[in-house]
Amino acid sequence: MLAEGALAAGCRFFAGYPITPASEVYEVMMRELPARGGLALSAPDEISSLCYCVGASLRGLKAMTATSGPGWALMIETVQYALMTETPVVVALVQRLGPSTGGATQGAQGDVWLAEFSTSGGYTLPVFSPSNAAECFELALHAFNWSERLRTPVVLLSDKEVGMTSEVVDDDALQLPSLVNRSGVTGAADYAPYALDEPDGVPAFAAVGGEVKVTATGSAHDRRGRLRKNSPEVIEVLLHLQHKIEAHAEEMALVRPDLDSGARCLLISYGVTARAARQAVSKLRSEGSRISFLQIQSLFPIPRRWLDQATASVEAVFIAEENLTGQYRAALASSLSGKRTYGINKIGGLISPQEITRAVREVMA
Amino acid sequence: MTVETPYLSADAQLPYCRGCGHALVVRHLSRALEHLGLSPRSVVLTTDIGCVGLADSLFPYLHTVHTTHGRSTAFATGIALAEASLEPTGLKPIVMIGDGGAMIGLLHLVHAAQLNVDITVLVHNNFLFGMTGGQHSALSPLNWITATTPDGNWTPPLDLLALLRTAHAGFLARQFATSQELATTLAEAIDFPGFSVVEIVELCTAYGTRWNQASGASLQEIVQRQGYALGKMESEMERPTFRELYRHEPESRRPRDSRPAVPRVNAKADLAGEVRLVVAGTAGERVQSAAGLFCRAALAAGLYSTQKNDNPVTQGSGFSLAEICLSPSPIEYTGLESPDVVLVVSEDGWKELQANGTLAACRKETLLLVDSQIGVTPPAGRLLQLPLRREANPKRAALAAIAAWLEKNPLLPSEAWEAVLAAEPAERRAESAAALEIGRRLALSCADL
Ligand SMILES: Cc1ncc(C[n+]2csc(CCOP(=O)(O)OP(=O)(O)O)c2C)c(N)n1
Ligand code: SF4
Repeated sequence: MLAEGALAAGCRFFAGYPITPASEVYEVMMRELPARGGLALSAPDEISSLCYCVGASLRGLKAMTATSGPGWALMIETVQYALMTETPVVVALVQRLGPSTGGATQGAQGDVWLAEFSTSGGYTLPVFSPSNAAECFELALHAFNWSERLRTPVVLLSDKEVGMTSEVVDDDALQLPSLVNRSGVTGAADYAPYALDEPDGVPAFAAVGGEVKVTATGSAHDRRGRLRKNSPEVIEVLLHLQHKIEAHAEEMALVRPDLDSGARCLLISYGVTARAARQAVSKLRSEGSRISFLQIQSLFPIPRRWLDQATASVEAVFIAEENLTGQYRAALASSLSGKRTYGINKIGGLISPQEITRAVREVMA
Repeated sequence: MTVETPYLSADAQLPYCRGCGHALVVRHLSRALEHLGLSPRSVVLTTDIGCVGLADSLFPYLHTVHTTHGRSTAFATGIALAEASLEPTGLKPIVMIGDGGAMIGLLHLVHAAQLNVDITVLVHNNFLFGMTGGQHSALSPLNWITATTPDGNWTPPLDLLALLRTAHAGFLARQFATSQELATTLAEAIDFPGFSVVEIVELCTAYGTRWNQASGASLQEIVQRQGYALGKMESEMERPTFRELYRHEPESRRPRDSRPAVPRVNAKADLAGEVRLVVAGTAGERVQSAAGLFCRAALAAGLYSTQKNDNPVTQGSGFSLAEICLSPSPIEYTGLESPDVVLVVSEDGWKELQANGTLAACRKETLLLVDSQIGVTPPAGRLLQLPLRREANPKRAALAAIAAWLEKNPLLPSEAWEAVLAAEPAERRAESAAALEIGRRLALSCADL
């Protein structure tokens, strides 16, 4: 479904390297992209995969690659290059159990930090996390849209359980955004590839090979892409890389809220664990508990307004995720200050609804 | 020095040390482009990291992409691949990379050569890492003194062109930066319609000539000692290019939805709550495809289903299992927890369910339908053994097991099975129908089921 979503989003270039549990995306793209006039290719490693995608995007094509934790580790230098050069590209990161080779066929939600905190300087990388097949499709569209609109790399953070479970999808029920394409340069005169009219604006895109000269660079640069040291303009350009994301944070927010205005506690989850959490919430409510639930699909930028709303009346916040130390919980810390927070964590298997209800009952009893 | 061309900027202040070979290369490159008469907008200069990477700012009219260390070839390949999928515009990616970059990004060179994408790579071989302070590289000659080999380099240098020849590079040449023929060689390489590489042998005056007795004449000697030929090398010039090789699918091949469509039947399934079951057997014995067929039949009859497969790391041997969840309403949590039904058709499957804790998680209500040939220690639950493998044959045993269970728990209408069987490829249909039939028969003969 993730691959189908990418195709529907207008992806026209894919380069991949086999790795469970992302190989299915790779295989679908290898089969389907050529039939739709695009190009799909086997790369000799993950560094090449992403470099090819970024090159193709510079040439003007919507591009994506798919990998898992070990491959993502190899891509991080190139992700930063895409960020710095403001080149749209989507990476589907289908998580498996780590660290290292880990458990290739076991699920996990252990790459949240690795995905988000992979840039030197701490820039916000948009990260979307689907919990089922339908969301894979929907979020693939959102990922491409935001990548194009903000000229930035975007991560689609799926996992083995979501990516490799067969389930039915009702096409008519999908909630699909209309497609966005990067806004192209108008008028060739005086084009500055990294121009910023507003600090949070996005410069118009010119494709390599077109009439307008492109100057792309991963080195610290001014508006024209010229290498500069100690220039205030360089810092402005760097700040704008972050501002353009933050300025759209609320617009990017995607959540599935199930809030109760009289709730004493809030349960937050994402990805595959959100499914168990939803079930746990029904169970707890059937026992008379007042509990709110927030499934977050756009992990980053953090949907703060939604968090404020969801936490307004509650004393305690539970965050359920399939990793060791509560990676997303740590990322949310500053947005949840003043609340008691509890992690529901596990590795090596799905967190079950019972494990969640038990943890909530223990605290809220 | 100033050069009047639309390529190298007239007032270019070359950023290199005095006497650096890189300066000669940019002038020759400018001349080569001039000679070819290429429109500046049909060239994209993709520069690596290192002193060599400073060249992009010298060519104000070309598209320039200044990349990361060693990866310039891969970015240029990406551009060329995209170009090959579009209407040709004549775009020429040219890579400028050092000997350091060539080694850290070696696989990009190898793959670009194999693909025969239309890019030209200029490897500036000055025998060391210039920008970082003169450290030795994989292309340093023997005994070469560098910051990291103060007593002389003792690892034999890599013959990059020989290596790329084995990767089927279409155009290979080597020249001194000082050669009067360099511009001509570069023009020829750029004009070549596939992958071309030119190794330019030159000196770094900041480190190379400071620590080594090296001059133009000794360069000749080094190259000779290493057995390097100069000029164009023999190569597979006639190979088809990537654009010619890459097959866009023929018209007949229509895009296909990777998702199998689900037939719907009017008759509805009879299921009040959730059922979680696991089918376990041996890889290659159609366990997971039987489960898939079952799920589609359930969907056809209006149920929701999820299916999760598991295998050992190697795909073709050992166990194979599928966990299925069926429900009249959408399914959130997909874990098995304690299964309602366990169908086991081979020893491999049984062992895996023992190992992964599924058997231990059975309750006394769990129904276990197990092939008669499997020696079992009874777990909690209701255990029944049927001669599935013997009667149905190993490849049909899983589907027969499903049918046997369904015979006594008729939650799916027969229309649902008919609909999914009709959607099966013809050669499968008869097999599946036979398996279902055998399963039903076995169930009828088993009074306890
Ligand atoms: C991943 C990475 N590792 C190391 C460096 C540091 N670095 C910058 S330039 C360079 C070597 C350049 O040598 P070469 O490619 O031979 O080019 P030259 O400077 O000689 O022109 C290195 C290692 C880097 N930029 N990136
Ligand atoms: S350090 Fe060496 S390679 Fe770099 S510019 Fe100076 S002479 Fe050239």
